[in-house]
Amino acid sequence: VRPSLQDLRQQASIAAKVFVQRDYTTGTICQFQTKFPSELETRIDKQQFEETIRTLNNLYAEAEKLGGRSYLEGCLACVTAYTIFLCMETHYEKVLKKIAKYIQEQNDKIYAPRGLLLTDPIERGLRVVEITIFEDQSNGRIEGR
Amino acid sequence: MPPVSRGGAVGGPSSSPRSPPTSRPLRPGRYVPVSAAAAFLVGSTTLFFCFTCPWLAEHVSVAVPMYNGAVFLFVLANFCMATFMDPGVFPRADEDEDKEDDFRAPLYKTVEIRSIQVRMKWCSTCRFYRPPRCSHCSVCDNCVEEFDHHCPWVNNCIGRRNYRYFFLFLLSLTVHIMGVFGFGLLFVLHHTQHLDRLHAAVTMAVMCVAGLFFIPVAGLTGFHIVLVARGRTTNEQVTGKFRGGVNPFTNGCWRNVSHVLCSSQAPRYLGRQRRAPTALVRPPFLRPPLSEAQLAAKVLDNGIQGDLHLSKSSLEAESQSADADPPPPPKPELRYPALSRGQVSMGSTEESSLLNKAPPTPTMYKYRPAYSSPGKSRSGLAHSYSSKMNQGDGLKEVPSLLRSSQQSGYRSEPSLDGRDDDAADHSERERKAGGPGAAGGQAGGISGYSLGGHSYPSFSEPAVLSGGASRSSGVRSAHVAHNASGPLPPESMASASYKSLANQTPRNGSLSYDSLLTPSEGPDLGRAAPELSPGRRRPHPHAHPHTHPHPHPQARHAPLLGYSSPFLSAQIAQQREPELHQASSAPLSSPHKAYLRTGSPPPLPPPDPCRPPRFSRPALLSDSHPYAYRARSLGSQDPPRSPVSPAPAPRPPPLGKSLSYSSAAAAEMQFRLVRKASAGAGIQAPKDEVPVKSYGRANGQPGGARPPSPHRSASSPSSPSHPASPGQADRSSPSSHGPTPRQGGRVKKVTGVGGTTYEISV
Repeated sequence: VRPSLQDLRQQASIAAKVFVQRDYTTGTICQFQTKFPSELETRIDKQQFEETIRTLNNLYAEAEKLGGRSYLEGCLACVTAYTIFLCMETHYEKVLKKIAKYIQEQNDKIYAPRGLLLTDPIERGLRVVEITIFEDQSNGRIEGR
Repeated sequence: MPPVSRGGAVGGPSSSPRSPPTSRPLRPGRYVPVSAAAAFLVGSTTLFFCFTCPWLAEHVSVAVPMYNGAVFLFVLANFCMATFMDPGVFPRADEDEDKEDDFRAPLYKTVEIRSIQVRMKWCSTCRFYRPPRCSHCSVCDNCVEEFDHHCPWVNNCIGRRNYRYFFLFLLSLTVHIMGVFGFGLLFVLHHTQHLDRLHAAVTMAVMCVAGLFFIPVAGLTGFHIVLVARGRTTNEQVTGKFRGGVNPFTNGCWRNVSHVLCSSQAPRYLGRQRRAPTALVRPPFLRPPLSEAQLAAKVLDNGIQGDLHLSKSSLEAESQSADADPPPPPKPELRYPALSRGQVSMGSTEESSLLNKAPPTPTMYKYRPAYSSPGKSRSGLAHSYSSKMNQGDGLKEVPSLLRSSQQSGYRSEPSLDGRDDDAADHSERERKAGGPGAAGGQAGGISGYSLGGHSYPSFSEPAVLSGGASRSSGVRSAHVAHNASGPLPPESMASASYKSLANQTPRNGSLSYDSLLTPSEGPDLGRAAPELSPGRRRPHPHAHPHTHPHPHPQARHAPLLGYSSPFLSAQIAQQREPELHQASSAPLSSPHKAYLRTGSPPPLPPPDPCRPPRFSRPALLSDSHPYAYRARSLGSQDPPRSPVSPAPAPRPPPLGKSLSYSSAAAAEMQFRLVRKASAGAGIQAPKDEVPVKSYGRANGQPGGARPPSPHRSASSPSSPSHPASPGQADRSSPSSHGPTPRQGGRVKKVTGVGGTTYEISV
């Protein structure tokens, strides 16, 4: 659902972008750093931010979990010569959808009112969580992004 | 300025220029192996089914062809998945993400994975720091997650997403070949009387093909079974990353196997439907209650040192801070505080908070001499190289002197030290056609794993490297600290490798630590910058001349001061100023002028002034370090210069500014290096050289024109804190390295790489 042109015109302009990097301390599993970026200090509570990131981390951990579900999926795929992928959605994709929904919900409820916007890390190859900081001016400039 | 002979082995494997990612030339050669493989597989199996199976179904069992059919189907399915599935290609990073990592950013970022230092390299093509285990495939021109290798038989990279299919393909193909061969043998044994018949002949032919392919396929299968059990990728195995070290990515044999076979299919990054943000962001915005911690220093988490640089503001702060580098003659131990202060004063609150972070290792501000850990001579070289580079193109980029801590490198890969490391370290990317590009990566050394001979190991990426250079997106000095990082503590220098230099890697290892100790290569540096660019990489012509003359004046004084304190270096720099003014030779003066010109304007017209570290030069310098420094100055000085008197009048100036800065920086660096490296004089000497250079450059670049410490006369070097007594500087340096300097006399003779001899009057 793209915002209408009118919405775009009324969107605030981008002031800066913060990139929350991956946390590799426990390996290559998908985790993001919960360290609170300094640029956000004036815009959002630290707790709020950390909670968002932690939830995301948990969701990604769930996606990558080696459990019965993924094992079954693998067996089924093998048996059907991987044609099952044409009709079935993998576990990871399902969780990714959940994550996308979560991010959108966070944006709507928490981040947008504070002039921030989270970008789904999958768009960046799960390398960073991009947080866009908008200018706090009441001008109606078109978003420059 | 005497032309520098490219004696050095500038060999970098400069691969053919990389085509831009958008338009890849059609290379039909790529499809030959995959077509042959497919043809053999399908053709032989079809023949088997047509000629052998009917008899088998009749006389043995009908289950035989069914079994073979199932196996063959499995082989085909895995083959197709391995061939057509996206291996885990990372999308190119947006420009926004890259801004912070621009010129100033180091070539490597270190991250700690289960207490093991792992290096993430900057990918100039994809514009991000490669995640661990990620590598850039030059054939596909993409960064691939958990890159295994590029397989020519499937004409695809094998990475995180399709490794499982590749592995199963190998397993099933082995089983299939064994089955075909076995049943074919059974057929032949029952038809020994009718071997001249078509069926038997065909069966025998199929058996031959099967037998022929069995050996390599089974070998490869066994190899990958071992890799899976150990939790390594082919790339890691062939580059010897974990040789003698610990693999941070393994979870035990069972978990490794189940991860490969049973984990959920990893998602695709490319080609996803991008959701437009639906949230409407409109002011007025809510604000949290103001916290006093706004400016509080933040401690880095997770050992990830580099994310400071990831924020735009921090980068700008850094660039500004570079200008504010402390004025003379800061004692080495005072440099940090001075720098911090300088930084804070320059930056915004955000920046200062970032700057105030007290990194455990001095990595943050790469171009800041104070932060560079003295431990690595290599890094020193890098710095000097960067300063050299800066000079050349006159950009204000401050060499990332202190790539610092990040460079502790990848401890689990001790063997990388060698060619791979050189390749990686020395790769420099040129961002702008500014520095002399070191010849491209040599990555050649690491041949990587190739079935058909086409695969390019992630670490070599010659194409990437040279491509980067050709892009001239910026110059980032190569990181050379790897070798040194092993033995030295983490903060030892992040050699000033800059992302911009990533694609330039002097192949001859002038950037390697070894070169520091090898006198013969010393002068290489001197020539290195200019040489490297042209010789090794796709040099940028304009950068070339610049680098040349500039280093000379500095280098020349270097011998006077030896590897003494930063003050001396600064002094040297100061001395240079008069020389510069006096320089009559056009080439000398012009480059200097160019350099100075660029250096003077404070700032920062955006990208250039803020990007000192981009130049590969620093890296080169750091490598050959003392020598390089020296050689350069010697060479240039030969002709026209009159020896500069050691007692320099401190000269303000725009001219001297950059020089003094670099010398001060170099001095600082040197100090640190010496402090860290308690090792012999041989090492010290080079280190001293380097810092002088890089420091000088760094200061000059940002436009600060203040000569950092150089107001002392060379004759009274005063770096009290410096362990190596300044007084010895005169004698130490070049002679320590090697080439045959004539000691004591007023003329020092230094032999450069390739036999060029320079004489400098002391």
